[in-house]
Amino acid sequence: MKKGIKFYIALWGAKIGTVILKLFKRNATFFPGKFAIKICPDFIGKINKPKTIVAVTGTNGKTTVCNMIEDILKDNNYIFIDNKYGSNIDAGVATTLLSGVNFWGKCKRDLAILEVDERSAPKIYPYMTPTYLVCTNLFRDSLMRNAHTEFISEILTKYIPKDTTLILNGDDLIASNIAPENKRIYFGIDRLETDSEKCENIARDIIVCPKCNSKLVYDYVRYNHIGKAHCPNCDFRSPDIDYLVTNLDLQNMKMHIKNNNEEETYDLISDNIINIYNILTVITVLKQLNLTNIQINESLKKQKIVDTRYSEEIVNGKKIITHLSKGMNPIACSRVFDYVRKYKGNKAVILLLDDLHEEANGSENTAWQYDTDYEFLNDDSIKQLIIAGVRYLDDYVRVRIAGVDDKKIVHERNELSAVEKLNLNNVETIFILHDLYSMELKEAIKAKVELMVKNLEEK
Amino acid sequence: MKIEILFPEFCNLFGDMYNMKYLKMCLPDAEFIETALDEKPKFIDEDIKMIYLGPMTEKTQEKVITRLKPYKKRIEELIDNNVLFLVTGNAIEVFGKYIENEDGSKIEGLGIFDVYSKRNMMNRHNSYFIGKYEDIEIVGFKSQFTMMYGDNSSNYFLEVEKGIGINKESKLEGVKKNNFIGTYLIGPLLILNPLFTEKLLQAMDAKGEIALKEETIAAYNERLKELKKLA
Repeated sequence: MKKGIKFYIALWGAKIGTVILKLFKRNATFFPGKFAIKICPDFIGKINKPKTIVAVTGTNGKTTVCNMIEDILKDNNYIFIDNKYGSNIDAGVATTLLSGVNFWGKCKRDLAILEVDERSAPKIYPYMTPTYLVCTNLFRDSLMRNAHTEFISEILTKYIPKDTTLILNGDDLIASNIAPENKRIYFGIDRLETDSEKCENIARDIIVCPKCNSKLVYDYVRYNHIGKAHCPNCDFRSPDIDYLVTNLDLQNMKMHIKNNNEEETYDLISDNIINIYNILTVITVLKQLNLTNIQINESLKKQKIVDTRYSEEIVNGKKIITHLSKGMNPIACSRVFDYVRKYKGNKAVILLLDDLHEEANGSENTAWQYDTDYEFLNDDSIKQLIIAGVRYLDDYVRVRIAGVDDKKIVHERNELSAVEKLNLNNVETIFILHDLYSMELKEAIKAKVELMVKNLEEK
Repeated sequence: MKIEILFPEFCNLFGDMYNMKYLKMCLPDAEFIETALDEKPKFIDEDIKMIYLGPMTEKTQEKVITRLKPYKKRIEELIDNNVLFLVTGNAIEVFGKYIENEDGSKIEGLGIFDVYSKRNMMNRHNSYFIGKYEDIEIVGFKSQFTMMYGDNSSNYFLEVEKGIGINKESKLEGVKKNNFIGTYLIGPLLILNPLFTEKLLQAMDAKGEIALKEETIAAYNERLKELKKLA
């Protein structure tokens, strides 16, 4: 492709800009790419790119999946570029690609791992053909941005390049059907004891056959539309899985994955089903990149889910767990609520779900709360529910509609003051569920809870 | 008392189905009937007090229009007979003349109201809303790909105090004729607006109390105060 003068002005300007930003200790992970695209709108198309590009998209799990792929590759001495510290929209992708070329535009790296926001597909894929495009899942997300799954899956189908090989969640009937003409590889988990014939979630976005409109028959449901289904009147059905978890051994924290009649064993670093899907996605991608079972597993064992997403510690015999529960993302929150209710023993739950990013605009569209399974918090094992933050009145109404006994609920505007009412009697675990934009608050609350637990012993 | 929820397996986006769950809490003795898209709507033959239709995907809009078209006359008759309809989000577009795509192609609607809508799929409109309904203020959220056009000056639902009407230039939100209420507001409208819910119960001659009255009114007052502060 002929590059032209605009491209070189964009390249050199962005390169110089990167140096200047770094000199001033500023984050050079967005603006260089933004500048480059402004000067040369098809900059992503014109810049020389690594031979192999893995793009990771999907509603939930893309950051975790990218982080784990990158950590395992690094542990195996691979050299690559990634947007781990940058944005996942076109400017972030452009900045990352920029970091992979020298001043004259020559590519220095053979591999790129890129997290790509689903909504950014029209601004990225017309200019870049990923070798592999991973779609972790497609669920209801921020309704203000992503509207609904039909909209997102149509965007992906429209813009994904025909030569890209897709790595798809075969247990997700929406994600597994994007870009049907493309070559595809499916990962999935065989039927689990906990799967059911009935869906107990509010949101379920594929109920009828997309080919003939007949009502789908779900052989089993794991959660929402994750599971296995078939159409009784045509050939539409869940796909055959290429990387299939045949045995999920949570007691020994191992899983067996079958691919091409060969079975391999991997260690699990989390017992949470969403993280198990993330690990499976990572293994599928790395196998496609020709890493061996041993290479992957030895590095996998060293991994842990990052503290900003999940942490646990035991203080005076009580477990304190912090868990990211992305506000405005109904399925992510529902999965966390489900995890909490099924976690062994009695617990107290502190909810800090305000989307402070959105609150900065003066309010928050709380419609997402009613796509979220707050009903899971109405569980006998949850002895206390503390609701705090700007939206405490909305959260309070929501949990009351979910049927939570008023006697169990503390609701207050001030987070620290609400936490003072934490009742540590009769609970073994304290869950602090927090939004992505509440990290400092989460740390303050966690410190307060730790202190309360320590003081309990002294008393 | 029978309340019919139309096509809940499809028309259930943005938490709007909780309008009905909440109404059920207010009217524990009422019968809530869920009619699937492949079933014959009950309002054709039965005495239904209220009909609810929630927001849906763009493809579903076409299916719903096809399903309801044979019953256009019956729907008009029910509207004339003061049957309560609550139609939220883009479900309102089903009752208009047509929905226009970006390429100019049109999907013919039921044509019950003299309005039409235009899609702009890459530009989603999001806003907060306050509007006047009789003697109360209604709060809510808008999140949509479409804007509606046409003259609703004689049959609007709300006078806009904050936010937009059926389009960015309009100060009149939604469509109202007798007890038919169509609004672009999405989400848990009845939970956010307990005073409005009270009026709906009155419109149905329902002997019911709004559920969680104190709690919902406290949240309503706080939101109203907050939204009034917005520029």
